[in-house]
This record gives sequence, C-alpha cells and structure tokens, in this order.
Amino acid sequence: MSVAVAPEPVLTEGVSLSPRRRMFLALVRKKIAMLAIAYLAVFYFCGVFAPWVAPQDPYRQNLSAEARLQGPSSEHWLGTDRLGRDIASRVVYATRTTVAFTAVVLISGSLFLGLGLGLLAGYRGGWVDTLIMRVGEVMGGLPTLLLMLAITAAFRTRLNDVSFWLEDHTWLGDDARTVTKFGIIVFATVPFAWIGSTRIVRSQALAIREETYVAAAEAMGASTWRVIARHVLPGVMPLFIVGVSAGMAGTAGAEVTLSFLGLGIDPPTASFGSLIADGAGPQTLERFPHLLLAPAIPVALFFFAWNLLGDALVDLLSPRGQGLR
Amino acid sequence: MGPGLLGYTVRRLLWAVPVLFVISVVVFYMMRLAPGDPVDAILGQRYQEEQAALLRKKYGYDEPIHVQYIKYMQNLAKGDLGVSTRHQQFTVSEIIIPKIWVSTRLGAIALVISFTLGILAGIYAALARGTFLDPLTISFWLAIDAIPVFVAAPALMWLFALKLDLVGLGWRGFGSVNIILPIIVLSLPGTAGVARFVRASVLGVLQEDYVRTARAKGLQERTVVFTHIARNALLPLITVIGLSLPGVAGGSLIVEQLFGIPGIGREGFDAVLAPDFDVILALVLFGSFLFVIANILIDLLYAVIDPRIRLGAARG
Repeated sequence: MSVAVAPEPVLTEGVSLSPRRRMFLALVRKKIAMLAIAYLAVFYFCGVFAPWVAPQDPYRQNLSAEARLQGPSSEHWLGTDRLGRDIASRVVYATRTTVAFTAVVLISGSLFLGLGLGLLAGYRGGWVDTLIMRVGEVMGGLPTLLLMLAITAAFRTRLNDVSFWLEDHTWLGDDARTVTKFGIIVFATVPFAWIGSTRIVRSQALAIREETYVAAAEAMGASTWRVIARHVLPGVMPLFIVGVSAGMAGTAGAEVTLSFLGLGIDPPTASFGSLIADGAGPQTLERFPHLLLAPAIPVALFFFAWNLLGDALVDLLSPRGQGLR
Repeated sequence: MGPGLLGYTVRRLLWAVPVLFVISVVVFYMMRLAPGDPVDAILGQRYQEEQAALLRKKYGYDEPIHVQYIKYMQNLAKGDLGVSTRHQQFTVSEIIIPKIWVSTRLGAIALVISFTLGILAGIYAALARGTFLDPLTISFWLAIDAIPVFVAAPALMWLFALKLDLVGLGWRGFGSVNIILPIIVLSLPGTAGVARFVRASVLGVLQEDYVRTARAKGLQERTVVFTHIARNALLPLITVIGLSLPGVAGGSLIVEQLFGIPGIGREGFDAVLAPDFDVILALVLFGSFLFVIANILIDLLYAVIDPRIRLGAARG
C-alpha cells in the first residue's frame, strides 16, 4: 500500500473540487448509506414479521436421512440442518432474536442509561459528573466478555427456578425459558452498553450548557427539566444518534457471540450465534457449506450495514471533515 | 513533570482505589454467592477432613462473606490468588501467568500488524479524499470488521489448511507457521477502527497552517506526508493504542478456543463454565487493574510528549 500517492486532492484542499464532483461524491457516500439503510430495513422487517416472512415452521424437525443436512433446493431454499429443520426459516427467526435484542438494549442501555446519565453528568456537572464518568471509565475497561460470561453463567444456575416460576405465574407459558435467557444476556450487556453514549452526550451537554440561550432560559426561571428537554436535548440528539449507530454492530455482536458460545439464546430458539456454531468447523464447512454460509452472510451484512451507516453519519457530522467538503 | 501533573496523577490514582474496590466487592459477592461449597469443588473426590479444614481456615470459606473478602484481600497482598477448583495441584497464579504470557505475545504481534495496516490505510484514505478510493478503502476494512471471528476462522482454516494445505490446524507454539491464521483473525478486524481514526485525524491536520507552509517551502511530498502530517496526526493514536493494551493481555477467547491456543481467554471461558471462582476473580481484577494503569499512562504520555496539553485543567 503506497502512501505517497494522490497528492492532487491534497493540494486542492476542497477549494478547486468542482461543485458537481462534490455532489457526486456526496451522492456516493449517501448511496452507500442508503444501501445500508435499505438492508437494515429489510432485516428489521424480517425480524418483526418473522412468522409471515418465514417460508416454513422453523421448529419442525424431520429426522429421516433424506431430509437432514440437505443442500439448498426449491423446497428448502437454504437447505436443512442436522434435525431436518428449514434453515431459511431459522435464519428469519434469528433476525427476530437480533432485532429484539438490539431494541431492548437500545432502549434500556443507550436511551435510558446512556442519554439519561450523559445529560445528568454534562448538565449538573460537579461531583455527579465525576462519579458517573469515573464509573463509566472503569466499567469500560473491565474485561467485558469475561464479565458478561461470568454474569451469564452465574445467573444460568438459577435458570430453571426462574423460568418455571415465570411459566406458572405469568402468561408467558412455553416462552418463559427463552424470555429468561433473553433477560440474562440483556442484564449482562446493559451495564457495558451505556458508556459510549454517555461520554458523547456529556461532552455535548457540557458545551451547550455554556451557550447564551441556556443562560437566558435559566435567567427567565426555566426549571432544570425544561432547560434539558427544550434546549440541551435537541442539541445532543444528532451526535447521540451517530454514536448509537456506530456502536450498534457491537451491541448485536454481543448476543451473537454469547449464543455462539452456548451461553446466550440456544436451540430450539433460533439465533445467529447458535446457527453459526452448528456450521463452524473446517470439516463441516467442506461437507455442508450451507450450514455456515446461510446464517453467516446475512449477519455479517447486518454488521457491515451498521458499520457503514455509522461511518457515513460520523463523517457527515464531524466538524473536522466539514472544512474539506 | 510539574507539580500540576503530579497532583493530577495522584488524584487519578486515588480515584482508581475506590473504583477497583467496588469492582472487587461486586465480583467477589457474585462468585461467592453461587451455590455449592467451594471446598467440595476444590477437593472433589480427594476430600479429606484435615485438608478441608486447612482450606477453610486459610480462605475463610465458612465465615461470613465480608470476612472472606478481607481474607481474600490479605492473601492477595501476599501474592496468593487462591486455589483453582479444576487444577488442584496448582495455585491460581501458577495457572494464569504462563497463559497470560502466551496471550500477550500473540496479542502484541496482532496489535502491531493491526495498527500498521490501519495507519497506512487511514493516511491513504485521507490523502485520497475526493476520489472514490477514500470510501472504498474505509468500506473495505469495515467489511472485514463485520465478519465475525467465528465465521472467518473456519473459512480460513478450510481454505488454507484443508484445500491449500499450507498450514496445520493445531497450536505448535510461536515458531510454527500454524500461527499465521490466528494472527490474521486477531489483527484484521481491528484495522477498520484504526484506519477511521487516523483518517479523521489526518484530515484535521491537513488544514493546519504548518502543512501549507511546508508545501509552500517546496518540500518533497513524501517529507510533508511523513514528517509534517503523519507525525502530528498520529499523536492522538496514543489513546487508542493505550486502551487496547489491556485487551492484548486479556487474549481472545474465541480465537484461542477455535485454534486450540493455551491462552488466558480460553482459560477464562473454561473457568466461567466450571465454575472456577478464584480464577475468574483473579482475571477480572487483573483486567481492571491493567485498564486503570493504561489510562493513567496515556495521560502521562501525552503530557510528556505534547507540551501544549495541560492536565488537571477543565477536560471536555
């Protein structure tokens, strides 16, 4: 990779880029982001409407020799797994797991904790700020995966108690076990999910607090909540959204990784992690490539789409980049 | 090192103490409140009353949990991290130290590769701004980053070991060619982050007056890029490098698992599954401690390298 190439765009430094060319490039960038958004829309649609999208029942097994581990065919678009289940349908249901997980962590970790603590730290300042940021700093430095595993494993010993109780005392019924497992991985992820957003929101809130319009609102006797809701929040939101979308692939990845290791959502409920675990292994890949590729490609594209979207948004909003635009 | 810097360091270190304390208490409670008698787990089939009594006394297993905690900390101060439930003949430190060393060496190689590729790609993308090569470079590394390790590893194993027969699959130590695949899956995913960071940083530096001056002086493009741009743009990278150091020593569970590497990530996973409480506790405390140290080092390094930075003043 040669570094000293392309001196020409450097010399121009944004001045002599023709407007048409600039628009074209903005469009290229936007196009990538648009593609990413389109893919994510399809993905989330599949997740929400899984029962209607899935071609077959993802749980129906067929243990006869000719039905198991079949390659793609007109009947099973992505083939079947070891128990003769339709992989296409299992992939669609796996998107449901990912969608539910990202939604719950987004609301509890990023919105509630991340935005809330960030506003509190940035606007209140003082010891509240110091406390929140120091805790976040160290939480961010803990061996995350190891702790997530430890939390998951510690709570899994009580998995049966909790899921049986839920089964008897709530309307969850047969879903109680899955819901409990889901709860455990959410509980293991959320303590680490707020730190990034909090940091972004706080620094933005710190800057906005110094603006004259905030001083004016305070002078007019606006309550703290009003100042935060009307003046600080709108200024914080763009960067918050950027931060969240840049971190989304990592959040979704936590569930996939835990499930891959057998400590997250496990069969029969479909998850990308456990689907991939079924097909991971060089020998398995040689004989039954569809076992690995069918779940791996959609989930890798999902991470890629969030990465691209996050990158495009960061680029659009970063004050440093704008001078060159 | 002025008095302000010293004060700042001391304040940071003082903050680290309560935070590490809280972490250790929380993790300790989590581990100790698990069902089952730890002495049973440690001794297993070879359970003997005298030995059990000895262990109980030394680690305080039958005392209230806060007494156990104090005993743990007293033993920790003496360098005794407790006993493993899986390998009775070894102490926790005998188990984890060699494995940390394996993971650290492997991680260090991967880190160097990752940062070299990322820096080159980032500078290249920034200088290519305005052409399609910029988004292409970044998108390429983002795509690599999006492939989960547990997908990339079997695919690479299949291609390079089964099809091309270039490498073997088992772990044969650092001298063997078998190390290539783990190094690839450890280093390539991190490149995207570095590349994006460097690109943004270089774009910022490009607008500086001293770059224009350097060009106006008629310096060679290579000199401008490497001496004026790269030097200043890479300074903020200290944070990124520093923050990835604890992860280097922590190893990668999945890569070590898939390639059969006797590293600390795998040890941690086995400890969690066993469960082997003192090993988990030791690893979490070790990781947290490394992170705190890395953070303080980063700040100090900045202050030493860049005289414009004044610590202790308002930090935004």
